[in-house]
Amino acid sequence: MKIKELFLKPYSKYIWIALMLVAWELTAKLAPVSPLAFPSLELILTALIDSIINGDILMQMLFSLGLILIGLGIGVALAFMMSFLSVVSPVFASFTDTCVSIFHPLPGIALLPLIILWIGTGSMAILFIIVHSVLWPMILNMTAGFKAIPEVYKKIGKNYEFNTLQSIIRIFVPASLSFLIAGLKISWARGWRAAISAEMIFGASGGIGGIGWYIFNKRVFMDTAGVYAGILMIIAVGIFVEDVVFGQLEKNTIKKWGVA
Amino acid sequence: MKPIIEICGLGKSYEGRPVLADINLEIGPGELICVIGASGCGKSTLLNLIGGFVKADQGEIRLNGRLVEKPSRQCIMVFQEFDQLFAWQTVRHNIEFALKKAPERLSHPEIRSRADHYLAMVKLSDFGDYYPNQLSGGMKQRTALARALALSPQVLLMDEPFGSLDAQTKRELQETLLEIRQETLATTVFVTHDIREALYLADRIVVLKAGAVAAVIKNQTRNTDETRVAEITALLSP
Repeated sequence: MKIKELFLKPYSKYIWIALMLVAWELTAKLAPVSPLAFPSLELILTALIDSIINGDILMQMLFSLGLILIGLGIGVALAFMMSFLSVVSPVFASFTDTCVSIFHPLPGIALLPLIILWIGTGSMAILFIIVHSVLWPMILNMTAGFKAIPEVYKKIGKNYEFNTLQSIIRIFVPASLSFLIAGLKISWARGWRAAISAEMIFGASGGIGGIGWYIFNKRVFMDTAGVYAGILMIIAVGIFVEDVVFGQLEKNTIKKWGVA
Repeated sequence: MKPIIEICGLGKSYEGRPVLADINLEIGPGELICVIGASGCGKSTLLNLIGGFVKADQGEIRLNGRLVEKPSRQCIMVFQEFDQLFAWQTVRHNIEFALKKAPERLSHPEIRSRADHYLAMVKLSDFGDYYPNQLSGGMKQRTALARALALSPQVLLMDEPFGSLDAQTKRELQETLLEIRQETLATTVFVTHDIREALYLADRIVVLKAGAVAAVIKNQTRNTDETRVAEITALLSP
């Protein structure tokens, strides 16, 4: 096989990552950099393995993932309700549009001072920020998906005497699944970012602070390798969700149906 | 025999432009009516009105004596578009889909056997597990036909369902439709712009011209030779 072909395969991502790791290691070993700012892979891996063995990093990660899962659930449910009402009522649709144009460009972190005033600094506040980051892109994609439903599907729904809820669940949702998955991907990425940022700011008000807090904490103790270990975990989870979770979801739905 | 569909003084305009005016037509049970006419003559509008998908401006349509006000499971439409099938369901599930929420509450084995029956009727028994994107255009239209028939509707509305098919496939589907008709005796209103198709299928041909019924022709002979075609072409030309 030619070398060029290696980079055109689905796994080319991992070849690039391997190359980047080699470049990293060479820089750390050969260039005049401080190990405090630029630790070698061994140091980072040692920190990572230590953290995995004592359970700290996994616990923090699970905590963050749990939060984002709940946040995604609430956000998607709210988005579905608002999108559903927008289909039923054009007046509500204009309200939804207004809300999206106000809140979609507003970073959750900018709301932090207010959120602290309203609900304090615990997990609830982080959850609030996650829901905020998930809700608006999800609504945007859901309503766009519902608008793109072919007229013929709507007619068939009427022909079968479906009511609006039946039409939405049985026809609109599966017919706009490619939009919904795209929305989920964006929402997941935004929610994940927001969660980690919020954790770094709030810290561990109740024992476990999440992976963001883990990284922040490592920085406080000048454990740079530990910071990198946390970042590596975040990247690994990101790739896993993208390739495995969403990859499988798409493979078993829209790719199989030929609508991707 | 009492007509199953009665159309009385039907009129419809879009944005002040009349599309159909004063249509009167009675369709008997089991009849296969072809509506032909040039594009824009109101054929599809007529079909949508019968199906209850659009509201009439004047006149009324009765199905079994009851006023048609909205679409119903008694009167199922088959469309021209190949993508009328639900892409996320296999051929079998497309057919079973509408049966699952049927008011008559069918049991699971009943639903399955009905789907099998109609799959066989449209000659797709081996393709039940295929997804629509794996099918040819003709097979998609067969599936759409089976899906409509599975509900045992009183009336089948067909909006140029074979309009996008090649001549060979079109003929095969026309034959299937005639066979099915023998079996189910469903009343069918079939819209087409293909005169030969109308001559091949119809018991009666309704010629629409500029939103009005120009002629209703009895077609018991199903004679598709050139003189017949020329006769109807003459009726259609302005």
